[in-house]
Amino acid sequence: MMPVSSDCQILKEDNVTHSFCGLACVGWLYQKIQDSFFLILGTHTCAHFLQNALGMMIFAKPRFGIALIEEGDLSRAEPRLEEVIAEIKRDHNPSVIFLLSSCTPEVMKVDFKGLAHHLSSDQTPVLFVPASGLVFNFTQAEDSVLQALIPFCPEAPAGEKSVVFVGSVNDVTADDLRAEAEELGIPVGGFLPESRFDKLPAIGPDTVLAPIQPYLSRVCSRLNRERGSQVLTSLFPFGPDGTRAFWQDLASMFGITIDLADREQAAWEKIKKQTDLLKGKKIFLTADTMMELPLARFLKHAGAEVVECSSAYINKKFHARELEALDGIRVVEQPNFHRQLEEIKATRPDMIVTSLMTANPFVGNGFIVKWSMEFTLMSIHGWSGVFTLANMFVSPLLRRQSLPEFDDSVWLEGVMPAAK
Amino acid sequence: MRLAFWLYEGTALHGVSRVANSMRGVHTVYHAPQGDDYITATYTMLERTPEFPKLSISVVRGQDLARGTSRLPGTVRQVEEHYKPELIVVAPSCSTALLQEDLGQMARSSGVSEEKIMVYAVNPFRVSENEAAEGLFTELVKRYAAECPKTEKPSVNLLGFTSLGFHLKANLTSLRRMLKTLGVEVNVVAPWGAGIDDLKKLPAAWLNIAPYREIGLQASDYLKEKFGMPAVTDAPIGVQATMRWLKAIIDEVNRIAAERGAAPMSMPDLRDFSLDGQSAPSGVPWFARTADMESFSNKRAFVFGDATQVVGVTKFLKDELGMQIIGAGTYLPRQADWVRRQLEGYLPGELMVTDKFQEISKFIEDEMPELVCGTQMERHSCRKLDVPCMVISPPTHIENHLLGYYPFFGFDGADVMADRVYTSAKLGLEKHLIDFFGGAGLEYEDDASAASSNGTGMSHDAEAASPPEDGEPTFEPSPDGEMGWTADAEKMLGKVPFFVRKKVRKNTENFARGIGEPVISADVFRKAKEHLGG
Repeated sequence: MMPVSSDCQILKEDNVTHSFCGLACVGWLYQKIQDSFFLILGTHTCAHFLQNALGMMIFAKPRFGIALIEEGDLSRAEPRLEEVIAEIKRDHNPSVIFLLSSCTPEVMKVDFKGLAHHLSSDQTPVLFVPASGLVFNFTQAEDSVLQALIPFCPEAPAGEKSVVFVGSVNDVTADDLRAEAEELGIPVGGFLPESRFDKLPAIGPDTVLAPIQPYLSRVCSRLNRERGSQVLTSLFPFGPDGTRAFWQDLASMFGITIDLADREQAAWEKIKKQTDLLKGKKIFLTADTMMELPLARFLKHAGAEVVECSSAYINKKFHARELEALDGIRVVEQPNFHRQLEEIKATRPDMIVTSLMTANPFVGNGFIVKWSMEFTLMSIHGWSGVFTLANMFVSPLLRRQSLPEFDDSVWLEGVMPAAK
Repeated sequence: MRLAFWLYEGTALHGVSRVANSMRGVHTVYHAPQGDDYITATYTMLERTPEFPKLSISVVRGQDLARGTSRLPGTVRQVEEHYKPELIVVAPSCSTALLQEDLGQMARSSGVSEEKIMVYAVNPFRVSENEAAEGLFTELVKRYAAECPKTEKPSVNLLGFTSLGFHLKANLTSLRRMLKTLGVEVNVVAPWGAGIDDLKKLPAAWLNIAPYREIGLQASDYLKEKFGMPAVTDAPIGVQATMRWLKAIIDEVNRIAAERGAAPMSMPDLRDFSLDGQSAPSGVPWFARTADMESFSNKRAFVFGDATQVVGVTKFLKDELGMQIIGAGTYLPRQADWVRRQLEGYLPGELMVTDKFQEISKFIEDEMPELVCGTQMERHSCRKLDVPCMVISPPTHIENHLLGYYPFFGFDGADVMADRVYTSAKLGLEKHLIDFFGGAGLEYEDDASAASSNGTGMSHDAEAASPPEDGEPTFEPSPDGEMGWTADAEKMLGKVPFFVRKKVRKNTENFARGIGEPVISADVFRKAKEHLGG
């Protein structure tokens, strides 16, 4: 393991705005864990968020729902969810129900742990998942979901040394990572989460936890504490640079020494057309999905000039290697959006990686943007994700080049009368 | 406590921001936890706003609550410094409303001038989107509208046009076109595009036009009471309603003209309302009389949505296209009495009033209408049942925010509605041919591109990544169908025209259950066919 540097310069500002709360993770996790149900104890706001901003489809039987706190429920000391749980069991028969907190019941000081315990049965555990916007940002509540799963991961006996990848990815990516590890001689214990609740991996003192998403620090440190598992500290497996470091560092934890320099070189070669275009481009990442650090590091190594890399939360230990790699770049935690706006107007970046809320307005202000959220939903992990990752940054630039000139005094007229 | 999956109306905060986002010089500050400004995405993505919506969030974090600190004064100062709005509207979200903080006191402690700050704190557990939007807009009108001389020429205010309104811009264009033809000027459109100065000069108009039951009506009532301004409050949905609407405007204008000693106006030649200035202003009256529309006279339609659109569309379908209305409903309980009165004599049964989409979905499944006019949610429900559906009311989807000119108001709107009915419902002669010859080679797999979603963000990728959950792409047994079908019964079902196959399957299964047959055999199928009349 590399030494952890704790003296990186991180600017800390007052808040993140224009991003989603922790409930957003329901969007991918209910699809990932196929025998689950995600129950949010929340309000009209939570429901409106899921159906509008996330554009979540409601089909015949969605495997997520909101136990709706209405005015009459505010006066009750403890919410009664027995009937709701019975309805869910009747309609879905899930192996596990995740009970997510949200802001209103947090303010009401609902005892979620007690509530989940009370509703839980051996057949269908109900697991409390802290997710409210009072504490959690966007992807961060996946960390809470994975922590809730810990008691259901069997104990791996001492001496059983294998890697467990931590973070939800689709099956194709998971298969790729597994195959790659096996090829390197690294025994694979599984994934947290697997696609089914009843298939959780065994975790023990000789398990090596390899986080593959940058927003899962707490579950890793808790497993380290509770099960004595080691946690890989490396770059996250995005881009040729990150993927090489990830596999080399992981292999070394299994006593395997490998040098993937050629492989990395070949991967950079494969995306030379893309990196040629990214070279010298000024790129600004506003805070949104908490994937910003590794994305910025890839961009830096691809030759781009990262003007600012902002993220909602930065964990100096968990993100140590990424922070080292970002040396010399302005890294901001909890950025102030008004300040960023001024900065962007002054530095005129060539591309802004930003949230769904802010993307089109940046375009309206003459910038090229990339939706930050797309990176959470695309296969960009490992060697096989390199091409997709590079293209995601390049396609907005190419697209803009190919469009005709734009006179905004004409073509923006009447689009937003409130802005005149 | 109930389990909710999807709700028709948005939150109070959404209503507040719809009004604020419509206006110039007004900035909303949400006092809310991080993430509650997700609403911003609905503007920047559905309306594709090229400027930042004038919405900022003063983030409330758990640790702030523990420490008793508030970022509200700081946020208000930052908003003042960066945007210099004429008015800052401060609103709580559902969770912060419970904290019972004095938002006014906190906002004032920012040092920003007191008259620039307006706290609009409704109870988000009692008040929803439309009521909050209506309430805020009325407050703003009361705050700013001032006595001023009437315009020289006849003029109107168009009230209630609001960000994310249903086909908002096209409806506005349609009304502007007709008013121009009439020779009536538009004094102010509000809140859409209006600034504080515009609100001040509202009383300069001769009359108000407030076509929406949901928003604008209260402000129009206030302006009537305070400044004696008359109002036309019907919605010009359909040709007949549009004619009445024009006449009402002319009558009001002439009444005022008479008081002022000005010359009266008269109804222009109707051709002047057409797009080319030389045709009928709408194709609907002739279209409805053509022979191929005869098959519409007994088509069974169901209408569900807000108040304005449900009333307008139901009347249009029955009165102007001659369709059969099998039911209607609204998700706005506050408007239910008005809708009931308006639709007296139009409905075979009670008006449905519910905010539970499952109830509407169940009704559609039981009745299998030949046309459903609903919201985005009914579009989903109908897709599952293979029932034709057109979206006529919010909540909407990106497909209702298209670039082309698709109004629902006015003569142009009547044409758009008729076209949508025609292309949504199964057709006349074509239907006979298919009925007669079976599939006729027209059978196709469900178009995957029709599987778009009701929102903005995650939909594309999420759908690409996994098949939709309602996703039987063809016409396999219904999801709830515990009933088995023998191969020869399936074969017979295969000969039924594809677009009624689901309905026949369902009716046959119901029939079989009724006579206690656990399996659909060819014989049961034949019996059912006989029993159900072919």
